[in-house]
Amino acid sequence: MLKVEHLTKKYGSVVAIDDISFTVKQGDIVGLLGPNGAGKSTTIKTISGLLRKTAGSITIDNYTNTSQAAKRRFTYVPEVPELYDMLTVWEHLVFIAYAYDVADFEAKAERLIERYDLWDKKDKLAKELSKGMKQKVSICCALLPEPDLYLFDEPMIGLDPKSIRETKLIFKELSEQQKTVLISTHLLDSIENLCHRVLVMKQGEIIVDMAMEEMKEKLGNNEIVSLEDLFLEVTRDE
Amino acid sequence: MNEFNLLAQRDGWIIVNHFVEIRQNPKRLLIYLLYIFWMGTLVFNSVIRYRHVSDMQLQSGPEILGAVFAGLGTAFILFFLYRGTKESSTFFSMGDVHFLFPAPVSPKKVLLYSMVKQSLINFLLYGIFILAFMPMIIDIVSVKLEYLPFMYLGYIGLVLVIGPLKFLVFAIGSKYSIQPRLQRGLLALMAVFILYLLASIISAGNLMQALLEGLNASFINYLPVIGWSKVAFMTAVTGYSTYSMVALILQFVFLLGCIVISYYIADDYYEDTLKATEQRSLRKKRKEGAEKPQRSPFLFGKRKNLIVKKVGTGPWALFWRSKLEYSRSDFHPYLGLLTILFLLVGIAAGIFTGKQADGLTSIYMTNGIIAYIIFIFSASTAGQHELTKPYVFLIPGSNLLKIVSTNLLDILRMSVNSLALNIPLGILLEVPIHIIVIMVIFMVSFYTLNLSSNYLIRIIFPNALDQKALYPLFLMLQILLLLLPGLIVGGALALIYQNPLLAFAGISLVNIIIIGVLLLLSNAVFARLEWR
Repeated sequence: MLKVEHLTKKYGSVVAIDDISFTVKQGDIVGLLGPNGAGKSTTIKTISGLLRKTAGSITIDNYTNTSQAAKRRFTYVPEVPELYDMLTVWEHLVFIAYAYDVADFEAKAERLIERYDLWDKKDKLAKELSKGMKQKVSICCALLPEPDLYLFDEPMIGLDPKSIRETKLIFKELSEQQKTVLISTHLLDSIENLCHRVLVMKQGEIIVDMAMEEMKEKLGNNEIVSLEDLFLEVTRDE
Repeated sequence: MNEFNLLAQRDGWIIVNHFVEIRQNPKRLLIYLLYIFWMGTLVFNSVIRYRHVSDMQLQSGPEILGAVFAGLGTAFILFFLYRGTKESSTFFSMGDVHFLFPAPVSPKKVLLYSMVKQSLINFLLYGIFILAFMPMIIDIVSVKLEYLPFMYLGYIGLVLVIGPLKFLVFAIGSKYSIQPRLQRGLLALMAVFILYLLASIISAGNLMQALLEGLNASFINYLPVIGWSKVAFMTAVTGYSTYSMVALILQFVFLLGCIVISYYIADDYYEDTLKATEQRSLRKKRKEGAEKPQRSPFLFGKRKNLIVKKVGTGPWALFWRSKLEYSRSDFHPYLGLLTILFLLVGIAAGIFTGKQADGLTSIYMTNGIIAYIIFIFSASTAGQHELTKPYVFLIPGSNLLKIVSTNLLDILRMSVNSLALNIPLGILLEVPIHIIVIMVIFMVSFYTLNLSSNYLIRIIFPNALDQKALYPLFLMLQILLLLLPGLIVGGALALIYQNPLLAFAGISLVNIIIIGVLLLLSNAVFARLEWR
């Protein structure tokens, strides 16, 4: 579904992503982990076409990520939700429906805003919403087109516990529907039982690329050892 | 849905929502009415001045106006083009970045739509400046009413071309990796412009005459953008010729050309516009009081590894932080680019006004005008400074010290700036030293009065949006409440003793008393303040 080959991103002389390669298969939920400044957000922004790659290639379903064909196949939730201040919650969803050419979107959109407790905020302007509510709208907008690939950059930040649970449920449903999800997060416990695979980044490189089953085997199926322990172990400075 | 329809639909909703917002919150209507009233007074003022031709209308008025237009226009264009080699201009919002850029819509069409939309908005928005300057223009030149559209279109043609041209320069520079060459080319153009002015000065021998002649040379009228817009602008003053229409058409064809070329060459511009879009969004948040303005490291870059000595504990940490920020963004914590500007203004005002008026009138006028400008500009930062961060509320210490340590460095810098203005001005105009001292105190008292009163704004208008919406109203109140006592006392003293210096001394004294009262009330003020 998603193929990243020898991706490098530089800002002048600063290397933000250093020759990384990975593939994400259809139906996989992959966690993109790493300490602050590891290059996770840059990776997701580059895949979504917001940043230009310095070298390498990114394809989505064999289409270059910046092509219109590829863009029809993914949606993106940014780390900081920036909405159109003067559009209402509902108008955001309608706008996305038009942009992605979503047929019969009304019922889907209503279901989404009900799941995220936004029904009473439906006609509120985005600038009147709290940060958490904006994040909910951003997630609803990403879910509405029902693409094959979802790119989530820290989606749980600012969400209330109910919305976090709802988002985790949605991830499970997406997996069951054979949708692909690449999710960057620091909330390791929230994705521990969701992800099929984890990629750990550090200083622009992928230092761990491991299936969760493999990881659990390596940890001796020890329930006490968590994803957090693994993360802290592999990202520890020498 | 077609891309253009999609974007038009979005903007349609936004316009409707603005009207809905006004209906739900009629307080906003007040501000729009105030703006309309203000514009009305400008138009009225222009009409009155047009009917009663001022004695000030100068023989060299058209030359002055033409030179100001050509000089400022060239400086602006070169400045923005040079900036364009480093960063793109933007026509987008952060909403566009997060919703539109990753969506399956044509980047070219998004760009074309956004550029045209921005140009149309600017076409109306920037007209306010020419309206504001119209009374002054009418004072110095005779304006032919029937050619006012030429004047407007000439000016707006220059303004509109800046955004697309800056975008184009960046797009071409990054697409063909020729940014360094573009930078060198623009620096060479700047050098040519400066050398041309210097050559004019040397050959004429008189600075003013040289600038007037140099910037009104006939070849300038044929230069792209600046010359064409100048010819169109000056049509209302110098009269219509066939070239007026040709120049105007050329200007707008050039604008159209920039947009069309941008459309064809820009297909991968999203990253280029990100930084400018983020900055634009931040500026908007700052205006609404949500973010503190960062002092821009304009010339000096971000200095790292700075060591600023400890100033004190408690509230003095705020003073230390100000020193650190200024050390990073300026060449010295107490001296800045503004100091140089004040120094230059002082020297220039001393040279130019010294010959035309008596020294005292010149120093009074220069200080009065600058103090007024300072008052207006420091009022616009009300509620945007320390109060947008939690530290001033949380740091232990007396509230009086918090207010002092927050504002002290700005006041000291203003004192230095005021000295930089008044010392050369005073020397050149040969005024006694006590007058220079009073002028410095006068200007600093204005600035300090405003900084001290900014805390009150937050109590009167705790909502950031209200502060923005009712800003002009508040400014009027601030002028009435804070400036009026000083003006009354100063005016009375000047009238009684027939000495304008006493007006400045009186105003300064009353300002200092009000500042003292505001500081004494600091505990009461802080008790009612909230961090929002």
